[in-house]
Amino acid sequence: MFKRKDRISAIRKELEAIVGPENVRTEEAELLMYSYDSGMARARPEAVINFTSAAQVAPVVKMLYGAGVPFLPRLAGTNLSGGTIPLKGGAILNLARLKKIRQIDTAAGLALVEPGVVNLELQRALEPFGFFYAPDPASQKVSTIGGNIGENAGGPLCLKYGVTADNVEKLEVVTPEGEVKFFSYSDAGPDLMSVLIGSEGTLGIVIHAWLKILPLPAHIKTASAAFPSLDAAIRAVTRIISAGILPRALEAMDKVSLDAALTGKASPFPAGTDAVLILELDGDDPVRIKTDLETAHKICSDNGCEAFKVAADEDERALLWQARKGAYPAMARLAPDLLVEDGVVPRPKLPEALKETREIIAKYKLTAGLLFHAGDGNLHPNVIFDRRDIEEVKRVKKAGYEMLKSCIKLGGTISGEHGIGVEKRVAMNWLYGRGELAFFHSIKRAFDPAGLANPDKILPVAGEKPAAKPDLAGAFVFPGKSGLSPEARSIIDELRLRAASGTRTAVTGLGTRLRPERVTEGARPLDLKSLSGLLEIDRENLTARAEAGLSFEEFRRQLKAAGFHLDLPELKGSVGGLIASKVCPEIRGLLLGLEVATAAGELLELGGKTVKNVAGYDAVRLLCGSQGAYAVILSATFALSAGKERQRPPFAEPPAWDAFEPAEIHRRLKKEFDPQNLLNPWIYRGV
Amino acid sequence: MSEHNTETDERPGFAWDPEPEHAVGGAHFRAELNELYGHEQANRHLGALLTDLGERNLYDAAAQCNRCGYCETVCPTYMLTGRETLSGRGRNQFVRMLIEGHAKNTSDAAEALNTCLLCSACTSVCYAKVPTADIVLEGRRALTGYGDNFFARAAVNTLLNAPRLFAFWLKLAYLAKRTGLPRLAAKMGIYDFIGMPGLAEAEGGVDRVPLRFASEILRKDPELRPEGSKQPGWAYFAPCGPNFLFPEVSQATVSILKKASGPGIFADNQCCGLMAHNYGRLDDAREFARRNILRYEELKAAHGEFPVIADCASCAAFMKSYEQLFTGDAEWRPRAKAFAAAVKDILEFYPADKAEHGDKAALEKAGTVTYHDSCRACHGQGIRHEPRVVLQKLAGKQYKELPESDWCCGGAGAYAFTEVELSKKVLDRKLRNIASVQAGTVVVGGTSCLAQIGAGLRDAYPSARAVHYSVFIDETSPKN
Repeated sequence: MFKRKDRISAIRKELEAIVGPENVRTEEAELLMYSYDSGMARARPEAVINFTSAAQVAPVVKMLYGAGVPFLPRLAGTNLSGGTIPLKGGAILNLARLKKIRQIDTAAGLALVEPGVVNLELQRALEPFGFFYAPDPASQKVSTIGGNIGENAGGPLCLKYGVTADNVEKLEVVTPEGEVKFFSYSDAGPDLMSVLIGSEGTLGIVIHAWLKILPLPAHIKTASAAFPSLDAAIRAVTRIISAGILPRALEAMDKVSLDAALTGKASPFPAGTDAVLILELDGDDPVRIKTDLETAHKICSDNGCEAFKVAADEDERALLWQARKGAYPAMARLAPDLLVEDGVVPRPKLPEALKETREIIAKYKLTAGLLFHAGDGNLHPNVIFDRRDIEEVKRVKKAGYEMLKSCIKLGGTISGEHGIGVEKRVAMNWLYGRGELAFFHSIKRAFDPAGLANPDKILPVAGEKPAAKPDLAGAFVFPGKSGLSPEARSIIDELRLRAASGTRTAVTGLGTRLRPERVTEGARPLDLKSLSGLLEIDRENLTARAEAGLSFEEFRRQLKAAGFHLDLPELKGSVGGLIASKVCPEIRGLLLGLEVATAAGELLELGGKTVKNVAGYDAVRLLCGSQGAYAVILSATFALSAGKERQRPPFAEPPAWDAFEPAEIHRRLKKEFDPQNLLNPWIYRGV
Repeated sequence: MSEHNTETDERPGFAWDPEPEHAVGGAHFRAELNELYGHEQANRHLGALLTDLGERNLYDAAAQCNRCGYCETVCPTYMLTGRETLSGRGRNQFVRMLIEGHAKNTSDAAEALNTCLLCSACTSVCYAKVPTADIVLEGRRALTGYGDNFFARAAVNTLLNAPRLFAFWLKLAYLAKRTGLPRLAAKMGIYDFIGMPGLAEAEGGVDRVPLRFASEILRKDPELRPEGSKQPGWAYFAPCGPNFLFPEVSQATVSILKKASGPGIFADNQCCGLMAHNYGRLDDAREFARRNILRYEELKAAHGEFPVIADCASCAAFMKSYEQLFTGDAEWRPRAKAFAAAVKDILEFYPADKAEHGDKAALEKAGTVTYHDSCRACHGQGIRHEPRVVLQKLAGKQYKELPESDWCCGGAGAYAFTEVELSKKVLDRKLRNIASVQAGTVVVGGTSCLAQIGAGLRDAYPSARAVHYSVFIDETSPKN
């Protein structure tokens, strides 16, 4: 009936031979059922392919690639940004039945799972062994590991334990061309694993994941603090973090959310409570937990807290978490549809973000419950509406966009853990400049030259410019590039000159690691020593921006003088060199943002000052281990710790940090970023 | 998108705007949108559903699903197949799309709607308590032509208007089985004729079939006659399962009721109407309901208030929802509500304080005792705690909790016969769980579960047997 349907019939026999005839479905009913997810977007696929074995995925993808049919992986279909909507038709690859936990290795601290394993099922399987897997999105009851990886999910515990990307050791991935590859953050060369995490199925399909599992802490204490206003609660959050307390979770919810979640249950909070913080501390040292709790209690009381209560037993603790994790689904009782926003701001900006969010909600006459991963500066306003009411939907969309703009304006980002999908695609234009978006596009092209893997997601498509939506243009000016030092400017100018003349460059920092005999191909050194200007420390946000040429030891000395530290072992060399060489892969966990110059001398601002950011590909981590060949690192922003520094064993640097043979994918990336092979040309000889 | 456009809607990859183009601002979205069934069929649908959030029309009830997907963690058909089409969320969305016209043909929904076990596990986990089973049934009604086919009509009519004739046909079928021609009855089409194609299989799964039905036996019990009882503590309502298939269950229920709650009466009732309801014959279901309500009112006028006790969870749950059949009927609605309030499942009614540690010999025979939550008890009526208290008192340490005790057994009325393969897989998981606790006795509260689990155990795990709750109490209570 429709020409495009023929794409499937042409390869149907072959597909059926791989997965079995009953698992290639093209009937009307099945297509309709895969035209929606938990978000608002809708589009129909041409086929749904069900898998019964992980080994079937690569041959099917190869077949689809050969036939030019777009495809996307789908599991529980609970994502909130339209990520699993087939915008160009094609095939839905339903991996929901690949739900085996293949191995739990407590000695190595790893669990090997298939993508369809439900997050909570994994937690249940780990518990008898005394282990847990840290990422715990509120949807963990239904969302799967594959989906968590696709969206780089967070959850309350990521404040202490990091997001999904920090808790994955290795991935087995089917590339968009149907090849099976393994990626780990510790591979020699650029960290491609972290780029795949959060790529929403646009760069490949995970078929096995090795997850880091951690021993359950010996002691967990959970407390609730009731405040007469949300502002007061948020103020307390900032103080608690600044006091050097690192809770395993620090969540805030407002009255609307609380009421929804507690429907039918007696509220354990005093009358007049407008906001509640849930604070959870863990560790093996009960004394430390006790003193931290006391400190937190005092901070809360100083900020107007009316009731600070430590959960006496498991039941009380469970009730608190039910209230928190049940708040989103409970909003379903209030109205049929729900927009869950997912903006992030630097933590000290939370009160401002909150104020603006409330103004926006009031301005558009909407009802919303406010939930915060307060410790991360991640806001989830849950706006309720009925999508059958067109006027209301329009107001909701406008309000949602305004909230994102407000986050951008406050130095934050447009998604902390839910992804961009299709619903926030246009907002990428507001967050990033042309250069950054082009950089993301080149990552996509390198992984998926045919553009078949979950097409039209994450990155704005042609015609999606803010100007094309005049109703969305706010009255404010988007923040420009941060102030570059004159030294950094001169580096950029030099790179432009060299690019124009085709001169090759050997990027060097303090000369700690790059052996002179490696520098070949007639590359002229570009010394970054001059990039060692003053640290910018954001005391409240606990971040610091250092220029690339600063020696790491000096960086640490300055931090220490300011009362902070970096939770890393003793390392040598320049800040930029440590990132580019990835001698200590752990550094990636503290790295929030990078300013880099491309081979052509274009300045790119990647990442930012927030601890959570899933807007676009993780280009920051891509440059970890890129050895100066993809771009020149000018400065980096790190997450700091306050309080006492923990003792670490001395760090033994791997001797062969540069033993890296680029694979096809590395070469493709290089070709995209630096087609003339100007930067550190010996690494990609003959590109 | 200003005009609803069929072609673009069906184009692969075309992102249709989820907002229905003909909806206007405001909170009301009424039946003019409904493309699920024609206006002239409105009286053959419930129209309004009594949901946890109040009275809602079908569209609003289905639209309340915000697609969070939590139901997919409990929906047996989704968990077994991983297919959205076979999930609670999928089924709600399908009905919604039919109503909105995004799905064009009701027949496309056949697989999604017919595979639903109606177990309502989805509703139990749903924060908004979206009544998926009711929504599915509304969809099925349009799908199956309102039970207008010959067999369904004949059966329901016979049961409604000539219950004794129905019993006669059924006995004829049973006789054929007893005379050593077990499949003959099925082949003769008698079960089809009396509208219980499922029974052909069910009796295949029951080791012996009764030739005296419970109603016939109970009518002869002088203690149960309404005339003889001034102040009955209860009235026994004989559901079709115990009545036609397991009369020993009825007898056990009456026996334990007498012992625990004093004298009572036999309601000498009609079928509760669930079968007609699930066939799509709503008018017939209403007629069954009215007759039962009338009977109840008649007895109440003579004897005062009393609870109506049923011993099949499906039947009890359905009678508790009688009000929903009459939402548009000002006269019958309050009467249905009053009746529904009097209905109690034996699972919740049997007083725990009357239970004591069971008879030694009986318990020895029972082995490890476990409890299967019938869907219509736990999801349909919220009964989970009460029977466990009683069983723990009776069986003591021999009682063991069944893993996934509220996983449907796959019986689900006629489901086991219409969706053979899926039903088998659902049952298989139940049997594995039963085996995992090495149970000797599986106590159930629904007759569909009794037949399904009973047959499954005989096939796969013959050292255990399925026993109805009443029978178990009757057998194990200390003999005096």
